[in-house]
Amino acid sequence: MTDVTGPSDAPVSEPDGDAEARRYLDEVRRDIDDEVRRRRASGDLPPGIERELDQLFLAHSPLGGRGAALRDMLRLVDASVFIDPVVPVESRRPGGTTVKRGLRSLNLWYLRYVTHQVSEFATAVSRALHVLDAQVTDLRHKVDALAAPPSVAVEVDWAHHPAAWWVEPATAALITHGGRVLHAACGDGWLVDALASRGVDAYGVDPRHRVVRPRAEPLDLRVEDVAAHIGAVASGSLHAVVLSGVVEGSGYVERNRLLQGAVRCLAPGGVLVVHSLTPLSWEDDDAPVEADMAGARPYRPRTWLRVMGDLGLEATVTEGADGRDYLVTGRLGAGR
Amino acid sequence: MKVAFVTPRYGVEVMGGAESAARQLAEHLVAECGWQVEVFSTCALDHITWDNVLPPGDSVLNGVTVHRFASASGRVPEFYELDARLRMAPSEATLEQSRRWLELNGPVTPDLVAAVGAGHAEVVAFYPYLYYPTVLGMQATSAPRVLHPAAHDEPALYLKVFDATFADADAICYHTAAERRLVQRRHRVAQIPQIELGLGVSPVVNGGRAGADILGIGDRPYVVSVGRVDEHKGSAMLAAFFTTYKKRHPGPLALALVGPKAAVIPDHEDIVLTGPVSEADKCDIVRDAMISISPSALESFSLVVLEAWEQCVPVMVNATCDPTREHCERSGGGLWFGSYREFEAVLERLCADDILRALLGARGHAYVQRYYQWPDLIRRYAGFLTAVRHRHDA
Repeated sequence: MTDVTGPSDAPVSEPDGDAEARRYLDEVRRDIDDEVRRRRASGDLPPGIERELDQLFLAHSPLGGRGAALRDMLRLVDASVFIDPVVPVESRRPGGTTVKRGLRSLNLWYLRYVTHQVSEFATAVSRALHVLDAQVTDLRHKVDALAAPPSVAVEVDWAHHPAAWWVEPATAALITHGGRVLHAACGDGWLVDALASRGVDAYGVDPRHRVVRPRAEPLDLRVEDVAAHIGAVASGSLHAVVLSGVVEGSGYVERNRLLQGAVRCLAPGGVLVVHSLTPLSWEDDDAPVEADMAGARPYRPRTWLRVMGDLGLEATVTEGADGRDYLVTGRLGAGR
Repeated sequence: MKVAFVTPRYGVEVMGGAESAARQLAEHLVAECGWQVEVFSTCALDHITWDNVLPPGDSVLNGVTVHRFASASGRVPEFYELDARLRMAPSEATLEQSRRWLELNGPVTPDLVAAVGAGHAEVVAFYPYLYYPTVLGMQATSAPRVLHPAAHDEPALYLKVFDATFADADAICYHTAAERRLVQRRHRVAQIPQIELGLGVSPVVNGGRAGADILGIGDRPYVVSVGRVDEHKGSAMLAAFFTTYKKRHPGPLALALVGPKAAVIPDHEDIVLTGPVSEADKCDIVRDAMISISPSALESFSLVVLEAWEQCVPVMVNATCDPTREHCERSGGGLWFGSYREFEAVLERLCADDILRALLGARGHAYVQRYYQWPDLIRRYAGFLTAVRHRHDA
């Protein structure tokens, strides 16, 4: 529909010393972070003032300062746990200060009792939150270590172009349907373009900035993470999802989530088309480099039939003539 | 092609990101594409009261036909009580409560909505998502609807009354990728045709005066913050941060707050409030500033950041504002702060480092030149609207 030329689609690397400038700016940012930590540790700003200023900052931050780290928020909690029972007595009215002071003296024993309990409660909550923060941080480190590498779009020049053997049968399965078709990973929009020229309302998504480039004709191509995009598509709103170069590079858990998400997006009678390399070609010397970095290997054809069946799709698998790749087509029942 | 814009305020007197953006798009479509553009708007200038100030009826402004309708009601006192209640957990509010919120927020404009429904535009663009004319107007028209959300991370975005507004759009036009991510976190609308467009920067108007002269501060160096001086826009926070900074860093540095006053800022010898200024004065003040600061956490684009870069002035932005931070991260034209400590460290570093300021300013300038020039933006926007119409016709 429209070409992609917004700033989010800027190439990752730019010429003329850009990388050097970026490195310098990263260094500046690190220097500033170090300086902030050093000054905070030195306590050169009275905690009350710092708390007041930070609360002012957070007052209009998005939904309570979602951008702030938990540790920063805890700093504000810590600074607020003491409830002062000694209320101010200044007054602009004549004799007001004396009256207020008298009232304060009369009530101080009571206020002390109450504020002491509130402060103790706040301190206990603050400690609990610190323990929670430590545990969450620890857990995050462990999860990070276990996490599969982020899924990447696999580049396979011989399979990802309009003349590849699987494109015609895939297109034939798509043009029998009205409705919108998503292609991921769309690259420079070669399949979206081919589908659009045959009257299909297609758009594409690809996480790789450098391959999604503006084209002469208007196409709806976006630089987005494929899983995140599918997660943001309304249920039953697409008539087809085409995945090429997407499933091979993802781990089993991500792959299943991706496929489940894609099926959720399909309207009744919708089609899920997957182009995948075979396990055999995944082991070849000329396999894409992602093969070495992927969290899993491609499924075999009969595994695909099982997976698609589990997803409620009637599936067929067509293998390419040289055994290097196959096309999986799954159709959702019209009465879903 | 005939395009209609629906926006709650419209006119050269209107200071407001979304409304100014709508006017710029409308006028550029007329000037550069020769399209017929009409606007459906209210008689209001103030986005709080929505008082009917301008006369209702039709007029032409810079080639754009403007249809103004009086509001049946503006924001009413009960709004604040309901808003305070709902903003604690907006996604938990019922549809009825959020509909009530929409009406109490104003401007309630049934005549405008009826006119949109009876219009003959081939595409109708709604700007922004937040108000009655958009929510009801989208339901009234049979023409393809392009939603310009101009959304930021505010409680209202989570109210159920806006679910249909996003879901029913035939196309969505975002200011930034950050805005798209924000909307898609809340609404499943990724399948809807969309574009990430932004706004163009107008040519700099050189008034030929020194910024410090306009501010009346002699030869003192200064930093500037342009836009409505409003607590919600972070102006009070910026003034408090700057006051503390000056206590800890005595010297000649001043802060200029340039724009209409909608908040009380305590008097301070180092802070200058200009009130509204001419475009030429604004450009001169920004050009001579050491740094332009955008303290607001609630922006969906922030033209003032780009206007500073247009003049090679580096910027500091609120770290919790995704769109302005994204501008800085992508361009390498600015730094951000997420607390007073960071504000102090960034400001201190920038004031002391001429080379860093020049580098940031140059990178920001290149970013604006590359992505935010009107001819290219309007070509893309016109192509997008044409495709939206064709898709609707198909």
